[in-house]
Amino acid sequence: MSAPALAHTDGADGGRTGAGTSTSTGTSAARRRARTAAWSVVVAVLLVLLTGVALGTGQVRMTVWEALRALVGLGDSGNVLVVQEFRAPRVVSALIAGAGLAVAGSMLQRLFRNPLASPDTIGVTGGASFGAVLVLAIGASQQYIPLAALGDGLLAALLLGGFAWRSRMAVTRLVLVGLAVQQGLAAAVNLMIVRFPAELASSAMQWTTGSLYGRTWTEVGTGGAAIAATAAAVVLCQRRVAVLDLGDDSAGGLGLDPRRDRVLLLLLTIALASLAAALTGPVAFVALAVPHLVRLLAGPPTLGTLGLTALTGSLLLLASDLLVLHVIPVHGLPVGAVTATLGAPWLLVLMIRQGRLPQRSS
Amino acid sequence: MTPDTATTGAGAPVKGAPVVDKATNRLAARGLGLRYGSRTIVDGLDLDLPGNAVTAIVGPNACGKSTLLRGLTRLLDPAAGTVTLDGSDIHRMPARALARRMGLLPQQPVTPEAVTVEALVRLGRFPHQRMLTPWSKADQAAVDEALERTGMTGLRDQQVDRLSGGQRQRAWIALALAQDTDLLLLDEPTTFLDLRHQLDVLDLVADLHAEAGRTVVMVLHDLGQAARYADHLVVLQDGRLAAAGAPGEILTAELVERVFQVPCQVVPDPETGTPLVVPKARSRRAAARD
Repeated sequence: MSAPALAHTDGADGGRTGAGTSTSTGTSAARRRARTAAWSVVVAVLLVLLTGVALGTGQVRMTVWEALRALVGLGDSGNVLVVQEFRAPRVVSALIAGAGLAVAGSMLQRLFRNPLASPDTIGVTGGASFGAVLVLAIGASQQYIPLAALGDGLLAALLLGGFAWRSRMAVTRLVLVGLAVQQGLAAAVNLMIVRFPAELASSAMQWTTGSLYGRTWTEVGTGGAAIAATAAAVVLCQRRVAVLDLGDDSAGGLGLDPRRDRVLLLLLTIALASLAAALTGPVAFVALAVPHLVRLLAGPPTLGTLGLTALTGSLLLLASDLLVLHVIPVHGLPVGAVTATLGAPWLLVLMIRQGRLPQRSS
Repeated sequence: MTPDTATTGAGAPVKGAPVVDKATNRLAARGLGLRYGSRTIVDGLDLDLPGNAVTAIVGPNACGKSTLLRGLTRLLDPAAGTVTLDGSDIHRMPARALARRMGLLPQQPVTPEAVTVEALVRLGRFPHQRMLTPWSKADQAAVDEALERTGMTGLRDQQVDRLSGGQRQRAWIALALAQDTDLLLLDEPTTFLDLRHQLDVLDLVADLHAEAGRTVVMVLHDLGQAARYADHLVVLQDGRLAAAGAPGEILTAELVERVFQVPCQVVPDPETGTPLVVPKARSRRAAARD
């Protein structure tokens, strides 16, 4: 592993031996916990509000209150139909996929010790989309999409691992190879779609940029259950992740097999990202941007910030989708276009900040 | 297989340490070979480290000290031979079970960004925890004791990456203590510290042995410090055992000259009476080389 940009390597900078450095940080742990909790509440409230707005807005207009009532089957039967059958699946997709992508991004950055790692930059969402389009191309039932996305997401990660392994997963190489894998798979997706008959091609567009159009409960149900199970496993493994943060030697001394455990956790994370991408297509930058946003709001990732990360991911994707649906006057714009537009400058800012950090060698 | 402590009687605790008899914490290597890729670092090493004692491993740079420590802790799989703890092969023990008996402070641990002292030390409880069990009173007690013993109680809420080098090292030792193992292995715990903090860490090690009955194995650079603080000295040269035994018995001018290629005198330390290595003056070393 390399690129200790997110972690200080002890020892080499023993110069800081002034005995008086114990100043002013006070109970920084308690402060960070309070900030995490406060932001979680803020984001959760915003999320509930936006959910109401998303359910209530559209050609059939209703108030947020009516929309929430319709969600549980109360009120005007027309409203109930619109909310339950058309709007809710889309909103729930956004919530689940946003949370899944954000958590996956945060985990990848931690496991790779690399702030640029994300399912987009290592080719996983590209692989997942490829799998989904492949299912459409061979005419198999759409219920296999999550499975195919999972399989090809893992395959893309293996491909990347194979190419980057010899350089011991050096950061630049990882990102470059990852982008190449992602682009290659995107090209393959486009190639297949071009050969599709017209009626399939429109539904396949989702897999080129990421979109939430036409989600139904069938997709949300199977995908959501798989995502929930994977996310639960990720939460259960947080102690392990914290121990791996100490470096491979310490982790080994504490009874982990660092290489095996890191690979297992990576596979779990990639599964999470692939399943999320099976629901939405390769929505760009949510997984990359949210962990950095959470870091700014509440500090470095811990078990406590995981919830905030998930909530923020949901909020970002839902808000972007609302922009696409009701604010930007372009019909049929995919949500991935908005996240990419927001995300590209954000990535640049990150790169520049990264370049300004003092170089630390391990 | 229960190897006798083959290292003469000198391996027994000599500094009034309490005798812990529930386990003897004897590490031993038989025919141990350690390799990085195709490069052999340690070859055919037989070694017995006494239980209930402080052992220092010394030797010139690149003699395989740290590699040996990695081999003794399972961080490095042996290319040949075995490592046993009280007779059982450590590579056949479940990793967590071993981690409950043997704690490790690596040479360059990675401090997670913005982690607090207490959060760091809590990770030492990992081998004692199961996936779904919550943090227990026993866990907290172990953490509190580790903080107390290392003098870090007052700094428990501080960020580790903002501490001084000496404090940081104590935080890491506290993590290893919270692991609550009878055996503690430290890889160059004093490197990068100034003299005062070096002595701080070594005094802490001596206390851990004398008061808490821990068996300690550490890699050290300074021969005088090793002689002062260790009951048992292991001298390595090119991945082989050059000498092993009580410092007072084995640390001679001939040994130092042979292993380190430094002509010297060994005199009694004026403070402790343990051997003190005094290199010969430059002119006389030059003369000796001709």
